[in-house]
Amino acid sequence: MGKLWLICIASISILLPFLCNAFSPETPTDRRVLVLLDDFAIMSSHSLYFNALKSRGFDLEFKLADDPKIALQRYGQYLYDALILFCPSVERFGGSIDVAAIVNFVDSGHDLIVAADVNASDLIREVGTECGVDFDEDPSAMVIDHIGYAVSGTEGDHTLIASDDFIKSDVILGGKKIEAPILFRGIGHAVSPANSLVLKVLSASPSAYSANPKSKLSTPPPLTGSAISLVSIVQARNNARLLITGSLSMFSNRFFRSGVQKAGSQTKHEKSGNEQFLTEISKWIFHERGHLKAVNVKHHRVGETDEPALYRINDELEYAVEIYEWSGTSWEPYVANDVQLQFYMMSPYVLKTLSSDKKGLYSTSFKVPDVYGVFQFKVEHQKLGYTSLSLSKQIPVRPYRHNEYERFIPAAYPYYGAAFSMMAGFFIFSFAHLYSK
Amino acid sequence: MARRLAGFLVLLLVVSICEAAFLFQPISDSHRSAALELFTPDHGSFKSLEETYEALRTFQILGIEKKPDLTATACRSISETVGSSSSTAKDLFYALKANSIAECKIDKKASKGIISRLNAAVSGASSLLDFYYSVGGLVLIKDQSSEADVHLADAEGVFRSVKAFSQSDGRWRYSSNNPESSAFAAGIALETLAGIVSLASSEIDQSLISTLKNDIIKLFDSIEKYDDGALYFDDKLVDGHEYQGPLSTTSSVLRGLTAFAAVTAENLNLPGDKMLGLAKFFLGICVPGDAKDFFNQIDSLACLESNRVSIPLILSFPSTVLSLTRKDSLKVGVSTVLGSEVPSLTVKLVGAFSSGSKDASLVESQELDFDKASGLHILNGLPKSIDVGSYTFVFEVVLHEPEHEEVYFMGSQTKVPISVTGLIKVENSEIAVLDSDLGSIESQKKLDLAGKNAISLSANHLQKLRLSFQLTTPHGRSFKPHQAFLKLRHESKVEHIFVVGNSGKQFEIVLNFLGLVEKFFYLSGKYDMELTIGDAAMENSLLVAIGHIELDLPEAPEKAPRPPPQPVDPYSRYGPKAEITHIFRAPEKRPPQGLSLAFLGLTILPLLGFLIGLLRLGVNLKNFPTKPVPATFAVLFHVGIGAVLLLYVFFWVKLDLFQTLKLLGFLGVFLVFVGHRILSHLAAASAKLKSA
Repeated sequence: MGKLWLICIASISILLPFLCNAFSPETPTDRRVLVLLDDFAIMSSHSLYFNALKSRGFDLEFKLADDPKIALQRYGQYLYDALILFCPSVERFGGSIDVAAIVNFVDSGHDLIVAADVNASDLIREVGTECGVDFDEDPSAMVIDHIGYAVSGTEGDHTLIASDDFIKSDVILGGKKIEAPILFRGIGHAVSPANSLVLKVLSASPSAYSANPKSKLSTPPPLTGSAISLVSIVQARNNARLLITGSLSMFSNRFFRSGVQKAGSQTKHEKSGNEQFLTEISKWIFHERGHLKAVNVKHHRVGETDEPALYRINDELEYAVEIYEWSGTSWEPYVANDVQLQFYMMSPYVLKTLSSDKKGLYSTSFKVPDVYGVFQFKVEHQKLGYTSLSLSKQIPVRPYRHNEYERFIPAAYPYYGAAFSMMAGFFIFSFAHLYSK
Repeated sequence: MARRLAGFLVLLLVVSICEAAFLFQPISDSHRSAALELFTPDHGSFKSLEETYEALRTFQILGIEKKPDLTATACRSISETVGSSSSTAKDLFYALKANSIAECKIDKKASKGIISRLNAAVSGASSLLDFYYSVGGLVLIKDQSSEADVHLADAEGVFRSVKAFSQSDGRWRYSSNNPESSAFAAGIALETLAGIVSLASSEIDQSLISTLKNDIIKLFDSIEKYDDGALYFDDKLVDGHEYQGPLSTTSSVLRGLTAFAAVTAENLNLPGDKMLGLAKFFLGICVPGDAKDFFNQIDSLACLESNRVSIPLILSFPSTVLSLTRKDSLKVGVSTVLGSEVPSLTVKLVGAFSSGSKDASLVESQELDFDKASGLHILNGLPKSIDVGSYTFVFEVVLHEPEHEEVYFMGSQTKVPISVTGLIKVENSEIAVLDSDLGSIESQKKLDLAGKNAISLSANHLQKLRLSFQLTTPHGRSFKPHQAFLKLRHESKVEHIFVVGNSGKQFEIVLNFLGLVEKFFYLSGKYDMELTIGDAAMENSLLVAIGHIELDLPEAPEKAPRPPPQPVDPYSRYGPKAEITHIFRAPEKRPPQGLSLAFLGLTILPLLGFLIGLLRLGVNLKNFPTKPVPATFAVLFHVGIGAVLLLYVFFWVKLDLFQTLKLLGFLGVFLVFVGHRILSHLAAASAKLKSA
């Protein structure tokens, strides 16, 4: 019997990595990442970034982008949890991978990191377009910034940019402030204003523009100023997370180790912010931060503990939910002060901020409105960088029953008094009428 | 093929990321710190002796102080491997290699045993790697223990059997039954053969050596090239696991070549530029992130530094961006690949060309001064003809001692991109609103582009806006910046960008609003103006807000294009919503309780009046039956009425309608019965009274 158990557990633990796929709250670990490269030299020249991922427990599999044997899925099961495209010049993926396959991969909730570069191929641009960003169409264009460039003894064309215009979000960039600017050399992209899922994480400075540094400009460049996004992220509706950048070299060991001094600034940083920035953002991309789950949704009348099937109007009720955030290794209590509950029927009747006990439990109490119908408890928590929480639970609300109204109203005492005095009078009158002589 | 080519292009890209193109720096401190990071033993020891050797060798070349515990643990595993009789030729080879640096003591008995085992391995070897490890091991033990008499009995025979693996194109096979040939194997073979020559007790046949020389030259014919002059070897990608990548392959060939050149007296006749190309390849990959690659790079550079073919020299530049304002002088350093000293030489600036043009050189040929303190060659003051911009400088290196030219090699001419920056003077900047028809100036304002401006203008669609300024270089020539944009931003954040064109020194842009109304989406209102002037050569690139212009444009016709949507601020999209609390229906207004009680009292008054009236009327109970039966019925009747009334009170207090009706039913039947009896009795009594 004991043996059977062992076999059972062993087979489950062997099968588990094959069964789980995208990030799911049930099995949040086991991350297998496929890295597609143009050349294996990138493995060595970008090793700091890869090692940082490996040290966090990711299982990286390096393949050439045109390797005929690569595949994202087999027998309908995805083989990887995330994909890194460090292959800006690939014209055609090998094997069964194409743009549609990548889009399907993301649509099934998997994460993606795309790095383009100068002379990025149409294929990579197309992947970018599918992700919601448009790279500059001019193949030889680069982001140039004559004011916000990185001072360098050997680079005189101001295409090496030191940028420090970050998105203000601790969940995306980590709690520690990034002091040093980010070194960037590559192409810029624009995010569509209509797309609310794409966020600019690192924007260019107002003086930047995207053009070919070697040719003269006769028409205004298509991308200028802080509309240029250097690094963008997407959080899809299925919580798949994407990172798109126009520079492969910003991941390189050289940029990680290089010192940086922004033009016009006297401070020289020993080390660029690239390592911190990209490592922190990769934690976000791989759901080590900002991924929430809600459990133990409870509601009951004040003073009771059981969940009723329906409420009466004007009942006092208590609502509680536990929210946790994935930290990469475990579920930690999520601490925030802006989780809101709606008591909703066609439109919110009550919208209340839940109070937190800092241990993940959010609760509130309120009085059911004096409107009956089928209501919903709704928690729609959308916060920059966090996965969106959307809980809803239907609950009917009934009016008072006939015997639940107030019984002895003082204002009606005269009526009562009149009736009873009438009755007393009748009783006395019956004697007087019958027996008086 | 195209696939590989694409791969190479990217490697080239990586190379060019590493340093600005065509510039190579010798090994520096960044390599040393990277080495310490990369070669960190787990729990005090490396995984294998091969890794131990690589770490020790890298530290040795870079001159990093060895940690004593590293050497001690290395010695322990070396003596274990050497002492064990089960270790293979490969283990012994790496143990001995590591020992050549760690310099541990190997007792004589063990080394005797090794020699005999390796000798047996040589005679039993069938593949190239067997030969490599066993011969390599013998060479190492010969070097390490001076008294050990190590030699190959049949050196020439072994030489021939190794040579049998060579192919006609200079590549080698790993074994006789493997048809794939590779340059990586060629490097291994050369190293093996060099070992055999050094172990030979008698002279090897010269014809064998010279055929091998031809093989090497053929091998170098297959060398591949990057655009920046870097040369490397690479094997065709075969599916087998033997494929090593260009770095390992080139490194292997170079090791073999150096070893072979060290043991033969002959000149290999390899052109120096091949060695320089290889040096560029290894320097171009910057700091690899992989320990193996790092070792290959450093070891190969050490081979280049000490080889007998020719030692490449590298021109390095502390800075290729020179500022005219700071009066920077051009500094050139000459060193070997590992950054060590070189013999006395002169660096000449042969020419300078404005990049992009093929004109004659802008400068005369001149020699650079050597500064002993810094070890740099310095060109004091840039020539007058060099203004801001980017240039290609051409340098030549002349060695002072003619015999050094045999040993060192420095390409004939080195082209280096140099950019010269300076402060650009911005003058005569002004902005004006013109009347369209006459061109007459309506309002004109001076601008100070270096400081703050808060110009406010107004114009309608029949007018024009003119902005003009002049740019001059420090040498008084006209300057054309790469970026000269005028940006107009409407209140609704719709932006319009115009490139400011020039004629000579004068930059001017005229915006004719009549032609621009459609482009401006007929949006009237306040437009902020921003001027950006920037160039790589311009030290004072500027982005200034000029002020604003109030535009009065005609109403938009129906089919006019709509302005594009503007990006929404991501911070405003999220965040908590305003709280909503339900407003409950107000309870009905009720009179105060005192009033109700007062009226309750009033409702009792009629009852009192009724009672008083009864008393005044002299109501009596004389008619009450005196006989016991009717009296009983009378009492029961009135008790019944009282019960019904009491039931009503209970109905009011707590009973529901059904309970009440049920009880009322019983009481009613009872009342009808007793009522009938008493009433008929009273009726009979009064009838009797009337008739009587």
